[in-house]
Amino acid sequence: MSTDLKTGVEIARPSVEVVGDLCEFKDSRIEGIIQQSIARNEKRAHFYDRVATVTVWTLSIIGLGILAFIIFVILYRGIATALTPGFIFGKPQALKEGGGIWPMIVSSFYLALLTIAIVLPLGVGAAVYLTEFSREGRITRLVRFGADSLSTVPSVVFGIFGMVLFVIYFGLGYSLLAGAFTLALLNMPTVMRTTEEAIKAVPHSYREACLSLGASRWETAKKIVLPSAMPGITTGVVLTVGRIVGESAAVLYTVGLFVRKVPVSPLQPAAPMAANIWHMYTEGALVSDWMRVANGEAAFLLLVVLVLNLGARLIARIYQKRLGMVS
Amino acid sequence: MQGVIDREWIVKKTLFTLAMITVLGIVLLIFFVARESIPAFTEAGPVNLFSATWNPGNGQYGMLVFLTGTLATTAGGLLLGTPLAIGSALFLTQMAPRRARSIMTRGVELLAGVPSIVLGWLGFTIMVPWIRSATGSTGTGILAASIILAIMVIPTITTISKDALEAVPESHLQAAYAMGATRWQTIRRVLLPAAKPGLLVAVILGMGRAIGETMAVALVIGPASVFPKSLTSPTHTLTTKILIEMGESTGVQRSSLFAMGLVLLLLSMLLILLVRLVSRQKETMR
Repeated sequence: MSTDLKTGVEIARPSVEVVGDLCEFKDSRIEGIIQQSIARNEKRAHFYDRVATVTVWTLSIIGLGILAFIIFVILYRGIATALTPGFIFGKPQALKEGGGIWPMIVSSFYLALLTIAIVLPLGVGAAVYLTEFSREGRITRLVRFGADSLSTVPSVVFGIFGMVLFVIYFGLGYSLLAGAFTLALLNMPTVMRTTEEAIKAVPHSYREACLSLGASRWETAKKIVLPSAMPGITTGVVLTVGRIVGESAAVLYTVGLFVRKVPVSPLQPAAPMAANIWHMYTEGALVSDWMRVANGEAAFLLLVVLVLNLGARLIARIYQKRLGMVS
Repeated sequence: MQGVIDREWIVKKTLFTLAMITVLGIVLLIFFVARESIPAFTEAGPVNLFSATWNPGNGQYGMLVFLTGTLATTAGGLLLGTPLAIGSALFLTQMAPRRARSIMTRGVELLAGVPSIVLGWLGFTIMVPWIRSATGSTGTGILAASIILAIMVIPTITTISKDALEAVPESHLQAAYAMGATRWQTIRRVLLPAAKPGLLVAVILGMGRAIGETMAVALVIGPASVFPKSLTSPTHTLTTKILIEMGESTGVQRSSLFAMGLVLLLLSMLLILLVRLVSRQKETMR
């Protein structure tokens, strides 16, 4: 091929061949430049690629490192205190040393139990309505908008709202019940959403089979859909318990932050662990070992949350395995 | 037969009522917080409420300092947290070997579960003393709060941006790889542009988390009700001011705290609208 590069007459053909086979070029100078430039580009691309890979790995490791640091420090400082029977089952002290946190532990779980009892019917009911009893439209959009709005409201705003509505207006006073109502509203969007996802994962053929046998929608939902969605719902509930136990801002002005005795009635004030740590921070200096108590309480609280988190995954996995064996 | 239909009707209406509780809840929330803040608007007036001086003894109820504190700590938290979070999301979806991915996923979940009071306690007992000895200040302030908030927004942003990255069709990435693009070229030129609206939503929701965070910030930021002189001098945010003063305030002062709550509510509603806007744009783009 007699290519005249200067006049450009035959440029079209060789330039196509450049891509396929550089050796078609007789002019070794141009060939060299092209090859160099390709090589340089490739080198640069690979260099950036490597830099990016290292950066992303580093960022992730920093993230994990922060988590490990948090867990390690909190447990390291508090676990020796937190896991002694005298601390777990001991009475809190406001004026002398050696206080325990038994009423706080009971408060936390009591509050969680009450809240779940309220939020579970609400969240599951709403999710069943959205998935089984309605078509996407104005009403479902409205419900979702409500849920989205609720889930972005800061928890301290929930706290002062609960104080006005439940503590004062409904006259419940600082009590477990007032806190449970507040936290039920706070957690309703999450319970609704996790239930909805669990329900959506139930195959349509299950419903169709049931409906074709003459069952009504509610019977189908009750006997087929909800039992099949149970693993997802349970996981969601356990995670919600974790969130309730860890919640403090919404609890301070609805439930309370310090008690001496174990709360018995839901109408009594209580002091969940998370709120009590805040109390230790603001008023604790009255007792000389307040740091020890707060460290121990933080460690115990973190431990509870970690166990609940891991437990939720475990439940999901066990259910999955069992379902896998059945089907 | 009639009985069955009636029961269905009752069940449907009951479930509908339960679903509407989300709407009722947010309406009640806005109503009661707004109602409690009326005295602040009528007796102190909006000019006073949005001024820069908080001095209830003198009849001054300005929330500008706290609004600034909220915005500054949120910006700081996002600035520090977003790179970590999006990096982690890229790691999870593009780079991590299987084993590392499951560790990372579990880690993000655990971090999301750490109670904010525990993080705040850690910040108060470890980070604040570090900053204090490094700078010679009180150690509390915007910097400490930003670091804590960065940790708090990481799980939110990571989880949502991971979903956004996973929503990009695998074929798009494969096309880029087939043309000889490196992994980073594929991420930068194909993956990130395609996932951009989703990533934006992730950051906005992270912002919501940061604006509303109370306990973790309360332990590391104050106490002072003036503009901070530096990143390491004490101040307050809207949430921490409400938290600390609600218990011991009455009258107009209490009411102006509710007004701050109202501002927080409006801010978070604004974010929801923003998210909706971005998501709608995402849909029209496809």
